[in-house]
Amino acid sequence: MKNLKSICSITALVTILLVAVSCERKFDGLKLATYPTTADVFNDGFSSGLYYAAYGTSKVTAFSVDYSVKYSGTCSMKFEVPDAGDPDGSYAGGVFGSNPARDLSGYTVLTFWAKASQPVTINILGFGNDMGASKYQVSLTNLAINSNWMEYYIPIPNPSLLTQERGQFFYAATPQDGRGYTFWIDDLKFEALGTIAHSEFGIFNGADTVVNNVQAGDNITISGLFATFNLPTGINEEVNLTSSYFTFSSSNATVATVDSLGIVHIADSGSAVITAKVGNMAANGSLTIHSTGKPVGPATPPPTPTFSSDKVISLYSNAYTNVPVDTWNAHWQYSTAENQFIKIQGDDIILYQKLNFVGIEFTSHTIDASAMTYFHLDIWTPNPTTNKTFKIKLVDFGLDGVVGGSDNSESEVTIASPPLATQQWISLDIPFLSFSGLNSRKHLAQLVLSGDLPDIYLDNVFFYNNGTPPPAPTTAAPTPTFSPADVLSVFSDAYTNLPGTDLNPNWGQTTVFSQILIQGNNTIKYAGLNYQGIQLGSNQNLTSMSYLHLDFWSSFSTSLKVYLISPGPVETPYTLIVPTSGWSSVDIPLSSFAPVDLTNVFQFKFEGNGDVFVNNILFHK
Amino acid sequence: MKNLIIKIVPAAIFSLLLITLFGCQKDNVQKIDQRNWQLVWSDDFNGSAGTSPDPSKWGFDIGNGPNHDGWGNAELEYYTNRPANACLDGNGNLVITARAESYSGSGFTSARIKTLGLLDQTYGRFEARLKTPWGPGIWPAFWLLGSNVDSLGWPQSGEIDIMELRGQKPNIINGTVHGPGYSGAAGITKSFAFENDRFDVNYHVFAVEWGADFIDFFVDSTLYQEITPGKVTGNWVFNHPFYIILNVAVGGNYVGFPSSLTPFPQTMIIDYVKVYREAD
Repeated sequence: MKNLKSICSITALVTILLVAVSCERKFDGLKLATYPTTADVFNDGFSSGLYYAAYGTSKVTAFSVDYSVKYSGTCSMKFEVPDAGDPDGSYAGGVFGSNPARDLSGYTVLTFWAKASQPVTINILGFGNDMGASKYQVSLTNLAINSNWMEYYIPIPNPSLLTQERGQFFYAATPQDGRGYTFWIDDLKFEALGTIAHSEFGIFNGADTVVNNVQAGDNITISGLFATFNLPTGINEEVNLTSSYFTFSSSNATVATVDSLGIVHIADSGSAVITAKVGNMAANGSLTIHSTGKPVGPATPPPTPTFSSDKVISLYSNAYTNVPVDTWNAHWQYSTAENQFIKIQGDDIILYQKLNFVGIEFTSHTIDASAMTYFHLDIWTPNPTTNKTFKIKLVDFGLDGVVGGSDNSESEVTIASPPLATQQWISLDIPFLSFSGLNSRKHLAQLVLSGDLPDIYLDNVFFYNNGTPPPAPTTAAPTPTFSPADVLSVFSDAYTNLPGTDLNPNWGQTTVFSQILIQGNNTIKYAGLNYQGIQLGSNQNLTSMSYLHLDFWSSFSTSLKVYLISPGPVETPYTLIVPTSGWSSVDIPLSSFAPVDLTNVFQFKFEGNGDVFVNNILFHK
Repeated sequence: MKNLIIKIVPAAIFSLLLITLFGCQKDNVQKIDQRNWQLVWSDDFNGSAGTSPDPSKWGFDIGNGPNHDGWGNAELEYYTNRPANACLDGNGNLVITARAESYSGSGFTSARIKTLGLLDQTYGRFEARLKTPWGPGIWPAFWLLGSNVDSLGWPQSGEIDIMELRGQKPNIINGTVHGPGYSGAAGITKSFAFENDRFDVNYHVFAVEWGADFIDFFVDSTLYQEITPGKVTGNWVFNHPFYIILNVAVGGNYVGFPSSLTPFPQTMIIDYVKVYREAD
């Protein structure tokens, strides 16, 4: 090829001439500044504009330039990974950045040669980490290197995006089995290799994923992002990449949209398929969404309560002024409940989802509900209610008014189905007496909702006094007919009573004791019973007696026990059935009170709740 | 003189750039006399997907060689005639597929098709347009074997390898001739490599033009090797009919072992095979 030879010689001549002749420069117009397209990162020294910054928690002296160990040229990058527990830092890591940023869009891969003082795996290395947003970070994780120099490749998934990249190279390496080591990198540069092929990208690890029953307002983050390339050596390599390399799309934007960060927002009911691309190449994998739309809920609010506001202490209702509540979800440990405040036709309603249990607290303003008789709430659930329960617990902090105090009391009511029913408003009116474990309701501090219903809408949560005085018996207890010779009477108009008996000894009870006349018959009234004693005038030997008789009346007590007590004290309860329909009479065998010493009985005790009327307390044969 | 320099400078700079790109080596781009080729045989592999190649043009080698030694090369595959290993793809291509599967005592299957007894020719232009497979231990080949190999034996019958590739270097192919005194590792061979492309990414045309005293090797329109009787270290045994073979081997002395990182299955995709004779 004669022509070729001639050009060779002319070129040699011209090159010399070019050097000798100076050039004139013309400023016709200023060109837009572009970022440098420097390919070298580190090759016999830092490339122009390159700087190094170690991660703050790493051993900052780990990196240095090595002039004796190198793959080629004059020097290489040396990384000395410390032992675990090194006081200067227990790992090596940092960023090689460039200022100004570089235009890497003309390259396809970052290549380098590496070796280590022993076979190790390097936790992570790559490019695109700029100690900031690191929007286009790509990395290899757990890269195995050994003591032989070998070439490694980190392909760029979509070079056209890297027009302005500061992060040229980053790494982090931890000790191997607790011990440090050294590794070297040389000839670190970006290249435009055409020998990287068969790139594949994927979301959800390449799988077509289906998710059902998501609701409007839910978000799903697209995960499982990967990119695989076939290297010039014919083997595949997988790299990690950020969502910024992908463009996402939804097949149905009214059902679900996806933003540039790869977060899917569910908007309405229906189905949508989310797919992705890197550049023009479709990514494997997809997400099919079947949305049920807005959570199933009531179309209308519950009926407006009609109780007079001076008889109500309201926690949550548009019909009343509400007292302060600290939180409707204290997010206690193991509670999964999530709550939203929504409006239905203008009425404020609380929606709980994923409810296992939730703590509602008003501890900074405890509530004195002693004048209240009922607790009310309206509940609507989309969940099936057959054989399901809903539980309501009230907690009173007692006189000391603090959580964990020894005078706390709490009580839980379980609501069954019925009255629970699905997809309709249910009004629950629960008498305070149903909260039988509450010793007091002067310092109510917490409300705990739990049970089998994961989704509930709640409204009109308040305490109220229904205004009717607690009922009392209108007829006297039946007159006992035992022969007086067979009777030892403690309290009865039909017999002579044991003298000196104290019917209202001060044992610290909150019960309010009174004696009233019902149809001319003296009757004991225990109002707001917690417990109440009777101190007999003198200790009694009951061995000649067989039974304890008493008459009792209560329309809303839910618990009542009577004790005989001998010195010690030795006391044994006997359970009485309440509430009663009218007067109940019982004759309790004295043997029921074992191991009380029946030769030496000196006290009675009643224990329970509510308002209880008692008469004709006597022993008989 | 100044003007002259100014005029020369731009042209020289362009030439300088040109030389830098292609290298200033004398025998890189050769010009040869125009030849007058007439098509005498071809297969464009048009047919329905999943069907076997035309039996009037192609037969199959089956198994791991008459001596059960991996066809003399310690290859690891078992060749079959199943469509899973060789079939048309319905898009005008023949696809030969190497698979990692247990079959008749081998760990891999593939296919090796040949025109023995159906088409052979002395001299001419033999070409195929194809895309290779890739991966460590994958060894595709497009080659010619003397039709008298069964009577005369190898390497007396001669062998012309139009294209062979080692899958761990998917950017390099080799063209080789084997004969008595220059066989096996001593074959007369030359590489052709893409600096920035790979043979498994795009179709390329591989061809030999063969005459009484030359065998020229081509990748696309680039002549990269001329073998003449003076270059072979033995008798020139290329004056009798040769037939065509296409195969993908797995493992063997030429390529080494596949690794756990070799992606399977691997395919060679052949658009066409054409045979020409020089017109008088």
